[in-house]
Amino acid sequence: MKSGRLVPLLFLAPALFLFGLLTIYPLVRVFLLSFFYTEYGFSGASFVGLENYAALLGDSFFRIATWNTIFFTVTATASEVGLGLLLALLVSKRFPGRFIVIPTLVAPFVLSTMVVTAIWRAWFHYDFGFLNNVLRAGGLPPVAWLFDPDIAIFSLVLVDVWQTVPLTFLILLAGLQSIQPEIYEAARMDGAGPRQILLRITIPLLIPHILLASLLRSIDSFKIFDKVYALTGGGPGQATETLSMYVYRLGFQFFDVGMASAAAVIMIVIAGALAALYAVRIMKGESHAG
Amino acid sequence: MKVLTSALLAGALALTAVAAKAETLVIAGRDGGYGKALSLAVDAYKEKNPDLEIERLELTGGGLFEKVTIAMREKSAAYDVIMLDDPWAVEFMAKGWLADLDALGGGVDEDFVAPARAVSRYPVGTGPYYAVPFVGNVELFAYRKDLFEKFGLGAPESWTDVVKAAKVISEKEDGVSGVVYRGQKANPIVTGFLPILWAHGARIVDADGNASLDSEAALEAMNLWLELKSYAPKGVETYNATEVRDALMQGTTAMTIELWPAWAPSLDDPSASKVPGKIEIMAAPGQVQGPAPMLGSWLVAVPADSENKDRARDFIDFLTSPEMQKKLALEVGTPPTRASVYKDADVVAKYRWYPNQVAALMNAQPRPRITQWSKVETILGDYLQLALIGQMAPKDALAEANGKIARALSH
Repeated sequence: MKSGRLVPLLFLAPALFLFGLLTIYPLVRVFLLSFFYTEYGFSGASFVGLENYAALLGDSFFRIATWNTIFFTVTATASEVGLGLLLALLVSKRFPGRFIVIPTLVAPFVLSTMVVTAIWRAWFHYDFGFLNNVLRAGGLPPVAWLFDPDIAIFSLVLVDVWQTVPLTFLILLAGLQSIQPEIYEAARMDGAGPRQILLRITIPLLIPHILLASLLRSIDSFKIFDKVYALTGGGPGQATETLSMYVYRLGFQFFDVGMASAAAVIMIVIAGALAALYAVRIMKGESHAG
Repeated sequence: MKVLTSALLAGALALTAVAAKAETLVIAGRDGGYGKALSLAVDAYKEKNPDLEIERLELTGGGLFEKVTIAMREKSAAYDVIMLDDPWAVEFMAKGWLADLDALGGGVDEDFVAPARAVSRYPVGTGPYYAVPFVGNVELFAYRKDLFEKFGLGAPESWTDVVKAAKVISEKEDGVSGVVYRGQKANPIVTGFLPILWAHGARIVDADGNASLDSEAALEAMNLWLELKSYAPKGVETYNATEVRDALMQGTTAMTIELWPAWAPSLDDPSASKVPGKIEIMAAPGQVQGPAPMLGSWLVAVPADSENKDRARDFIDFLTSPEMQKKLALEVGTPPTRASVYKDADVVAKYRWYPNQVAALMNAQPRPRITQWSKVETILGDYLQLALIGQMAPKDALAEANGKIARALSH
């Protein structure tokens, strides 16, 4: 090997070693374990071929968890990016009190998820919760936020939106501030109205930032665990059971590590496909820009 | 010369450090009231053994199960004493994860109540002791004496009486639900259902170790349990211990089908309860069979891979001694596992329901002694909740649960 190639490799070696140890090795191990019946690792494991995958696909709870995860990911990501964009557009212009509004909007993001879920669990209480008190005060009937199977997943989305909109808001605000003011001036001189400026200039120029915010939020939403664990435990029934909860129960409550690995492999495939989709879009954008 | 002196000095320092390293006992236990009890016992034990270091982990039930199970599977010597819920103990004993306490000496005397002693041995009831009962938990039943008297109702003698009383009170007493229970998935919902299931003569696993929930008796039990929901507060599907206790102490419910001894002292505390002295505590009623209160003992054991077994055994003897059991009962309300402590005049004077509690404990039924219990409990909990929220017919829920339990038992 030429020394010109060796030097960069030497510098990259520590990072590659860590990547191999902490990412590639666990992935390969999980993939291999998914073909075994095992309660823990390979010791005492028995090879079962594709049996774990067949059992998963035949399990209605797994199918429900997959659907719930996809539904949550799409709904939460769309809401967070949409609301983040709206807030960024509202706050991007200078106005009195802006220096108070921005930190206030960002505040929920600095709270830990356990604190957030504790707050919302109290707010969601059917009899004494803040939300139902507001509804009652407005003459409306209270809502079974966490125990109506048709509503519980939306309650989880609401909590996720409340906590993570600040992230999408900040990404999109940064994007808005990176657009050159001259472009707007030129558009206005050409007679473009506010609606045209928003739809033909601002949004198209924000696409890479919207994609980035969507990628970050959808990957994070796809692996949702903590909020479900703390707020509903996957219930009522299976209404909020997600893939992460399903894998956790198989792995750490049942110690059915083979099945848990098979479910994790399916999760990785879906999440990988999702990430690849965004990555291709983002790279396409970059190559056009370049 | 300087080099030699330095080397000798370094060697001496290293030897001193090794000699000075204190003996350490690591205990993995529960949080909450049981954590307080362990903390009291640890402080008292340290007073007797000032040179001993004790590290104590306070964990939730689920957290403790995960941590100790993983440590046992990895053959780790991380813990010297572990707390175990009695159904977990079967797997721990069967897989050789616990030290044989008989071999370590000290014995387990007959003052410990018989059902708790039986689940501390493997094979159950006959083999050597692998654990010692620490918390004498038993699932109890509680009802509002004043409301029962107001509506001319006697203490419930069957689950049918419970349903009738729940109906009467929820219809006639404003702001009071007929009954309350834990409806949350997994352990909470199963725990409330089991005494009803057993009282109907049904079993999750039969004597031959086969899944047996697809029976008429189980269906009758399920239908009765579901009927209770009509008289329970809205949202009971998400209720756990806090909500049940709140409903009792706020006086907003007439009965609970499940009350744990650790919850009981606050019910008589006027600073915490709006109905002190008005709640009667007893064993859950029977139905086609006599009362079937569920045993919920917490045990203490020494992992087989502990490097400090003798010290661990000594601590366990101290923790479960009659003196410490009495102290923990009086100071923290920890339910004793020794019959003699239940007869102690000071203890009975403080806790008026102890005679009923010990009677329930003596007749308590353990959960199935199978190594797959945590899996079986989760499966049953899932289907009970699907039936409770009306997303599955009771018969279908039992049939599907039975099928999954059968598969779980086959591994």
